[in-house]
Formats: sequence, structure tokens, C-alpha cells
Amino acid sequence: MHMHKLEKVWLIIGVITLIAFLTTVGIQAFASGHAPPSDLTKVDPEKVDETPPFNEPGLKKVGENEYELVMVLQSFGFTPNKVEIPHGSTVKFIVTSKDVVHGFEIAGTRVNMMVTPGHVNSMTYTFEEKGEYLILCNEYCGIGHHMMSAELEVK
Amino acid sequence: MSTTARKAGFGSVLWDYLTTVDHKKIAILYLIGGFFFFILGGLEAMLIRIQLIVPDNDFLSAQFYNEVLTMHGTTMIFLAAMPLLFALMNIAVPLQIGARDVAFPFVNSLGFWLFFFGGVMLNVSWFVTGAPDAGWTSYAPLSIFSEGHGVDFYSIGLQIAGFGTLMAGINFIVTIVNMRAPGMTYMRMPLFTWTTLIASVLILFAFPALTVGLFQLTFDRLFGANFFNPELGGNAIIWEHLFWIFGHPEVYILILPAFGVFSEVIPTFAKKRLFGYSSMVFATVLIAFFGFMVWAHHMFTVGLGPIANSIFAVATMAIAVPTGIKIFNWLFTLWGGSIRLTSPMVFALGFIPTFTIGGMTGVMLASAAADYQYHDSYFVVAHFHYVIVGGTVLGIFAGLIYWWPKMFGTLLNEKLNHWFFWLFFIGFHLTFFFQHFLGLMGMPRRYWVFGEGQGLDTFNFISTIGAFLMAVGTIVFVYNMVMTQVKGKKVSGDPWDARTLEWAIPSPPPFYNFKQLPLVRGLDPLWIEKTEGNGKMQPAEPLGDIHMPNNSFVPFVMSLGLFIAGFGVMFQGSYWFLAAIGFGLFFGSMIYRSFKDDLGYHIHKEDLEDEKGDGSNG
Repeated sequence: MHMHKLEKVWLIIGVITLIAFLTTVGIQAFASGHAPPSDLTKVDPEKVDETPPFNEPGLKKVGENEYELVMVLQSFGFTPNKVEIPHGSTVKFIVTSKDVVHGFEIAGTRVNMMVTPGHVNSMTYTFEEKGEYLILCNEYCGIGHHMMSAELEVK
Repeated sequence: MSTTARKAGFGSVLWDYLTTVDHKKIAILYLIGGFFFFILGGLEAMLIRIQLIVPDNDFLSAQFYNEVLTMHGTTMIFLAAMPLLFALMNIAVPLQIGARDVAFPFVNSLGFWLFFFGGVMLNVSWFVTGAPDAGWTSYAPLSIFSEGHGVDFYSIGLQIAGFGTLMAGINFIVTIVNMRAPGMTYMRMPLFTWTTLIASVLILFAFPALTVGLFQLTFDRLFGANFFNPELGGNAIIWEHLFWIFGHPEVYILILPAFGVFSEVIPTFAKKRLFGYSSMVFATVLIAFFGFMVWAHHMFTVGLGPIANSIFAVATMAIAVPTGIKIFNWLFTLWGGSIRLTSPMVFALGFIPTFTIGGMTGVMLASAAADYQYHDSYFVVAHFHYVIVGGTVLGIFAGLIYWWPKMFGTLLNEKLNHWFFWLFFIGFHLTFFFQHFLGLMGMPRRYWVFGEGQGLDTFNFISTIGAFLMAVGTIVFVYNMVMTQVKGKKVSGDPWDARTLEWAIPSPPPFYNFKQLPLVRGLDPLWIEKTEGNGKMQPAEPLGDIHMPNNSFVPFVMSLGLFIAGFGVMFQGSYWFLAAIGFGLFFGSMIYRSFKDDLGYHIHKEDLEDEKGDGSNG
């Protein structure tokens, strides 16, 4: 197999780019501590209402400026569907679904989770800006999908 | 078409096509079937865009909108893009490697009819209890709870069509490995043949995952299994894994053959050897290899944990490198070439920047940390339309125009082709470019309506206008295809002054393709003969008898059997007799086929000598 000199140079550039790419992303991923939504715990979707913490959905204070928000999703709504959060606080969202796969997205932030029945998902976010945020379901869940939302106010 | 030239009656032409095992006629069947579903999927897209032209629109009901969006995705991927690619593969690959047909002509025909009946089955759902409404991804448990028989049509229809695809994939692997002409080594194969080979390998490994997933879905819905129902101990996430283990290689199955088309079109119309042929081959193999390790990037927000997310993010980004190599190889091929701006070339030139934008948004989405801002928004919709329409669909049209003379012996009107390109291309960018911004502004996908006063109105309106331009473009192209065939003006066997073997024989080729198998002396064999020889391929064998397969009606009956059986399984109760009839036809045909000695026939040497011409493109 004969290769033109320029082709060889070009292949070498490609391989170097590949290595540079992998190293950069590897450092980003493992050394910079990237924390995606993840909980890895399970829950029986039929007994969500009896299982803590989902037996008492809502906002709970767990420390100085630290809160936990437990939410239950069901076609086509969020419980609770209106939340107020003090400005500058760090909130851990703990969510699950009672029926089908839903989404949990707070528009304008990086909070975005898939909420699968039988599984718990969680994510942490610090609200630095005051204002009204919209919580959306972004995972197609049926005929009322476009209406499924909740309000979150940071004051 | 050679059949019309003989003034055959409509009945005999129809019978010929129903029973044909000739790869060139099967290509035409795939083209007709695929284009029909392309128009259907396009109409569904128009309904979606009309619904979203203004806020709070009620042009469609919410339920009907969900059915339309599900069927748009399913139809375009499984029933339009893949069959149209198979049309190109069937017409080009056996000719490019100097073969007289594919390895298994019977299986080739069976593959087409399975796809066709699967597609028809899926669309029968419109008239029976409503179409599937769980999205083309059919995420469980929504697909388990979906009422009516829509999702049953999805699972059984796709299962039947999927069998066809698997068979076509296996057939092309065997054909390319076994049936290359003397001298056609692997590293002399045209790139379209290479990408067909790799895409077929992907089909072979990816489709079984879909088959398994669809079987489980069917059994969950129809026979009380609980694979995906979490209330009864099933696990819904397994469906997502199975679907995307199939679904991600699937997008490479779609894009690699399109890369192959452009790798044929660009050297031909730049009058230059393809730059970096060997790196193109390695890049193709590498993309396919990585393609199997990235499926979970569709599931970054599921909560798989930081390690899983990072590994899948790294693997996904790695794919950008071989793809980038390909992009620059095409640019370097163009550099210094004597470029002819024919319509396939214009499609290729439109493809390069469009696909690169899609690739860039792909890297953005691949970065798991950034994905939380895009996941399930219109940004994703814009991204995959940029790669699938900007890559695969432009590739299909380029290939269709390029190989049209080989299929029909006529040339599409170039002026109308250019009109088609500009309408479609401008319409495409109007439709989808602005959807990036809609997504970044927070508009989630698959929403029946969007609210007023959220700043989403203008971009949605522009998007719909763009969709209409694409529709007008497509109408121009359909008109062009029909008028070209009505006029029927024949062209030579090599109208583009091209480089590969398929152009060394007449257009359309005789049913046995090559009178004598050609001797291949290097990459771009015809070009070598044009520049160093007398412009004709040298034969690798003396003129002799040619063995040909017989036509068969069995593939049609087998596929019809599965089609009928599908309804029996779906409606059960007093409809079980349909399943009995259907499976009876199916297995009966298999037994018939197994016990019948069908040895084909020979074209005798004397008859070949009597035919006019020397089998070359003149």
C-alpha cells in the first residue's frame, strides 16, 4: 500500500489531534470533578407516597444556606408545583416518577435530569440570581406533556 | 428502463418487478418504496411545522400531533433514509466491484419485500386505532402504557422491516468480500463500496439489539411480559440501553454511505484522485468502531454517574477526529482540481459546511457537562437534522442524480436539479438553523404548542417558512424525475466522465452486467484505462457462459405471510386465524424454497456473441 507523503503527514496530524483531545477531556472529566445528576438508588414506583423522603415532598432546610427539595413527578404535574427558595442557597433536588419517564429541567440553568420510574435522581445547584424560574418536563410523556411544569422563585 | 423499450405490457412489467432478483431492478424498487415513504414523512413534517407556526395553535389535536411526530421520525429513519441508501447500494456496489449480481439475489429480493410490508404495516395504523404515539424512541414505560394498537404496529412493523435490513446487510458483506473482480483488492475498492461494507457490518451488529428490544416490547404489550414495567419489577432503563445500542450505530449506518457517495462525486467532478484514500478507509473503520461505544451519550441525564458519563463523552468526542479527517480530505481533493459544478457536485459542496455545523453541535452535545443545558431541547432537534438531512439526505440526492443514468439510462434535467438544490438547501437552513436558538432559549422538543410572549414566535415562524421551501424543492425534483422518464432521452454509459467500474458498461447495464469480468489494475480502474490504456476495461476472462439466477415470487409471499401474521398476533382473539394463515404462508414458502432445486440458467456464449456492442460504455 503506497501512501503519499502528504497523506502520511495528514494521518500523523490526525492521530496527534486524537491524543490531545482524549487527554483534555480526560483531565476535565476526572481531575476537575465533574458531577452529573446521579443517585443510583431505587424506589418502588407503586409505594412512592409511603417511601421516605417522598412521603413528604417539599423544601427542607438541612444546613446553613443548604436545602433539599424533594419532588414527585406524575403525568402531568410536579408535587409540589410552586417553590420558594432563598437567594444564594444551595439546593439538592431529589426526584422520582410515579408512572413514565419524565424530565426535570430548570430553564436557564444546567439542572436537567431524566426522571425514570423505579429510580431516584438527584442534582445540586446554587442559585446566585434572584427571579422566577420555570421547571419543565422535557422528556416526552404523552398527551399533556406540553403542560407539565412548575414554578420556582428565588428571592 | 429496458423493459419498457421492449414495449412489454403493464401486467408483465409488474410481474417482472414482483419476482425480480436482479439487483438493478431491486434498486429501482427500493427507490420507489423509499421515495414514497420520504414524501409521506415529509407531509408529516409539514403538519408539525404548520402546527408550530404560531403560538397556542390548534391546527392538530394533541393526540394527533403526537402520532404525527412519532411517525415522522420512524418513517424518515427506517422507511425513507435506509431504503434510499439501499437503492444506491444495490445499483452501484455490484457494478463498482465488477460483479454480475449480489451474492444472494433471492435474499436481496426478500430484504426489499420485508422492508416494504413492514412499512405498509406501520402506516396501516393510521386507519386502525391510531398511529404509534410514544415517540420514535418509544421510551418504556410510556410505550407500555400507550393505549390502542399504535405501539403494537410500531413494534411488529419495525420488526418485519428490520429483518429485511439485516438480510440486506449480510448480503452486502458477503458480496463485497467474495465477489470482487480479479485485481480488485480491498485497498482498490471505491469508497462507496467501502462505506457500504462498513455500514453493513454495523447493521449486522446493531440491528439484533433492536430486534431484542422490539421482541420484549411486543411481549410486554401483547403477552403480559414485564420486561419494562417498573411496577411489576421490570426495568425501564433497559429499553433505553437496547434502543440506543442499536440507535447510535444506526446514525452511522445512515451517514457512512452518504460519505461514500461524496467520496465518489467529489473526485469525479474535481478530476482528481481522492486525497488520502487510505486515511478515508481507516477513518470509516474508526468511526464504525467508536460508534458502538457511545450510545449512553443519549442518556447523560438519566443519572449513570460521573464515570460512565465521562467515558461516553470522551468516546463521543473521539469520533469527531476521524470525521474531521474526512472533511479535510474532501477539501484537499477539491484543492487544485478542475471543478465542474454539476448538480451532484453542488450537493457535495453544500454538504461540507452543513455537515460540519452538525458535527460542531455534536461535539457541544457530547460534552456531558454542557449537555444538561441542551438535553431534550430544540438544540438537539437542530443538531440531528443538520447531520441527517445535511449529511444523509443531501448524500442520497447527490447519489441519486449521479447514478440516475446507471439506473435508467437517462439524465435528470440539470437546471431543475439546481433549482431543487437551492430551494431545498435554503429551506433547510431556514428551518433548522433557528431551532438551535429556540433550544438555547429553552424550548423543549416534542411540545404540541408553545406559549405566547416567550420570545419563541419569530424563530418558529421562520422555521415553518423554511419547511415550505423544502417542500417546494422536493416537488420540483419529483416533477424532474417524472418528466425525465416521460421524455426518455438516452445518454451514453459514461455521461459524467467518471472513474470507477460501473461507468465502463452501458447505461442501463445489460441484465448480466459484465460480458466479461474486467481486470482491475488499480484504484479508479476506468480512469487508469482512460489515461494509460485505450479507455476500455481489459477482460480478465475469455467470453463464456454466464450463470444467472431464476426470478422468484417466493420472497413476496414470505413477506406477505409475515404481514398477515402480524395482524393476527396483534388483535388475537378471533383474529388468531390470520396468524395461522400468515405463518402458514411464511413457513410453507420456506419449505417450498428448501425442497425445490432452483439451479438458475445459463446465458450461452453464442447468444452473448450475437448481442450488439462489446459491453463497454460506448
